[in-house]
Amino acid sequence: MRIYEQLFIIRPDASEPEIDAFLEQITGVINNAGGRVDKLEKWGVRKLAYPVEKRHEGYYVLLQYGSQPDAVKEIERRFRVSDLVLKYLTVRIDEKLKWLQKRQKMREQRSKRKPAARPVEAAAMPGEPAPEE
Amino acid sequence: MAEGKGGKPISASQQTTGTDKAVVTRRQYFRRKKVCRFCLEKIDDINYKDVKLLSAFITERGRIIPRRLSGVCAPHQRRLSNAIKQARNIALLPFTTR
Repeated sequence: MRIYEQLFIIRPDASEPEIDAFLEQITGVINNAGGRVDKLEKWGVRKLAYPVEKRHEGYYVLLQYGSQPDAVKEIERRFRVSDLVLKYLTVRIDEKLKWLQKRQKMREQRSKRKPAARPVEAAAMPGEPAPEE
Repeated sequence: MAEGKGGKPISASQQTTGTDKAVVTRRQYFRRKKVCRFCLEKIDDINYKDVKLLSAFITERGRIIPRRLSGVCAPHQRRLSNAIKQARNIALLPFTTR
């Protein structure tokens, strides 16, 4: 099981029921493949930083889910086929989440062990070479 | 470390006095030591969705600000530039702006 994050842009002129139906489809794919949807956020219509398919606005949706890699393939295929989706980005985040957790734990331990050394720690990060400049 | 002082050649008269970490560069003008903002504020997660944060590290034209200007440390600049590129891909940040 891997955790993925998918941010995609839907045509801004799509109606709300249309979008909901499409999202239903996508979550259906995940559930069928034995995954689980962790998060489904609608950011709403935002301005695009550059025109995509001659549009300057887009309806952003963020989807976070855990599944096997096959589900991603299927979802991306649907994104490409569907004319609702202008653009999508898939990021695998389980490794990053793990790294962040590790990092957080280290921070907590450090602050517990030597609270006096806090200002020094800010200058020289743990596990990293100290910045030269 | 491989990088010297921001990659700029330092002439003999401007040599640092041993402790090159402190603010003791002998130049005519005083230059404040730049510190990596991510190290300072302890931002671990440089996320491509955080447009507000990322846009502080691109120029008006949409280019990534080099770390010799922004003072970001190498590990963080790497993460930062990756995040900016991801954000560009999904039209959160521009590739260029005229």
